Amino acid sequence: MEPPKIWRERRGKYLVLGILCQDCKKKSFPITQYCPHCSSENIAELKLAQTGKILHFTRVSQTAEELMFYAPYIIGLVELDDGIKVTGQITDTKLEDLTEGMKVRMVFRTLSKNGEEGLIGYGFKFVLI
Amino acid sequence: MNKHFQGIIMSKLGIVSYGSYIPKYRISIEEIAKVWDDDPNEIISQLQVFSKSVPGPDEDVATMSVEAARNTISRWKGNPQDIGAIYVGSESHPYAVKPTATIVAAAIDAEKELTAADLEFACKAGTAGMQMCFGLVKSEMIKFGLAIGSDDSQAKPRDPLEYTAGAGSAAFLIGKERVVAELEGTYSITTDTPDFWRREGAVFPSHGNRFTGQPAYFQHTVDASKGLMEKLGTKPSDYNHVTFHQPNTKFPLTVAKMLGFTAEQIDNSLICKNIGNAYSASSMLGLAHILNNSNSGDRIFMTSYGSGAGSDAFSFSITDEIEELKSYPLTVEYYVNNKEEINYGKYSRYKGILRC
Repeated sequence: MEPPKIWRERRGKYLVLGILCQDCKKKSFPITQYCPHCSSENIAELKLAQTGKILHFTRVSQTAEELMFYAPYIIGLVELDDGIKVTGQITDTKLEDLTEGMKVRMVFRTLSKNGEEGLIGYGFKFVLI
Repeated sequence: MNKHFQGIIMSKLGIVSYGSYIPKYRISIEEIAKVWDDDPNEIISQLQVFSKSVPGPDEDVATMSVEAARNTISRWKGNPQDIGAIYVGSESHPYAVKPTATIVAAAIDAEKELTAADLEFACKAGTAGMQMCFGLVKSEMIKFGLAIGSDDSQAKPRDPLEYTAGAGSAAFLIGKERVVAELEGTYSITTDTPDFWRREGAVFPSHGNRFTGQPAYFQHTVDASKGLMEKLGTKPSDYNHVTFHQPNTKFPLTVAKMLGFTAEQIDNSLICKNIGNAYSASSMLGLAHILNNSNSGDRIFMTSYGSGAGSDAFSFSITDEIEELKSYPLTVEYYVNNKEEINYGKYSRYKGILRC
């Protein structure tokens, strides 16, 4: 991952920020310049709920080279307690231990490593509560 | 007053909040001993350690520091923008050049009006950060300072260190408002003692075997502890709890006895038997565990030890504010009990010893 991308996305990925449209009052994730619902530019940063429940999940075995160190890993669609749906890895667990509806909370983990000398990407994942 | 003695503190200054983090994975002494045909009972008897913590493949010192820092902030319920300094002590920072402290600052929303740095002094870099925060808060240069000790410690396969080199993180927020553990004094000992080292670029540390004991760990821990108690006019029986650096369980039990502390006074700090040596986080995790099991009016003594070598001693007095913070759910005890055993193969992969 290139330095500008890590730097530009850090608030969204570290703090898990979305937006709250000041016109249509709808929430969305991730941070965008416009409201994806009504295209308004009148938006405010929104800190999303840190807990939620698993809606769907699957195991990823083949992935990009910078993620192969972590493979196989589990990726899930999580509905946060504030209603926003977020895709993220579910870590510290095994596929056979998961069922839909399980409660999860966000944790801070490495997302990618650019070889032995490149930058480390950080951000949120989920663990079972 | 001695130039190294920062007590007796007159205004209320101390720990405002605390947080910890220990990875979920454990490897037992038996599992490691099986690989090297060692006798596990002999090793357990010598070290009094049964298992050690192992970070998952997506964990490092930065992620563990952030988890401990977030637990500290959540327990405190204050504004992270009021934090004026962040120091992360570790000997296993993910970058040689690029501070962990900056990642922590961003991940707890403390950017950008603050000072920050990574510290290295073997296993006492975290308590060195606490002293820096105490100084900055006391001099009113900052309102709050966050000191973190965090390590994903390295050990060469088959080295005796492999049985205990664990991982974990502890954070302490230092300030003057709503203090839960008032600082009564702090005092340090520092000498050039080459008991444990890792050269620039080396993957694994080296050590002086038994030299790490008497002239290193014991001499510095005893000198710093006795020195602080002498300055404060206190004695071991004045304290309810004590925590020392825990490279294994035997060392802190031995040094406690040498100083005149009882087994009951040190018992609440001894987490090494379950998670191994968390290096920079070791004595600090002991302190975090004690705080969650202490009551108003209790007095706590802590002495860290870092190879190289040095010790930082602290004396704290618990205030009424502690009760409000004890109900926070993600405690040292929670993390110690939230565990999954792994085998040596998975341990090798997670630690990066085995690579594809």
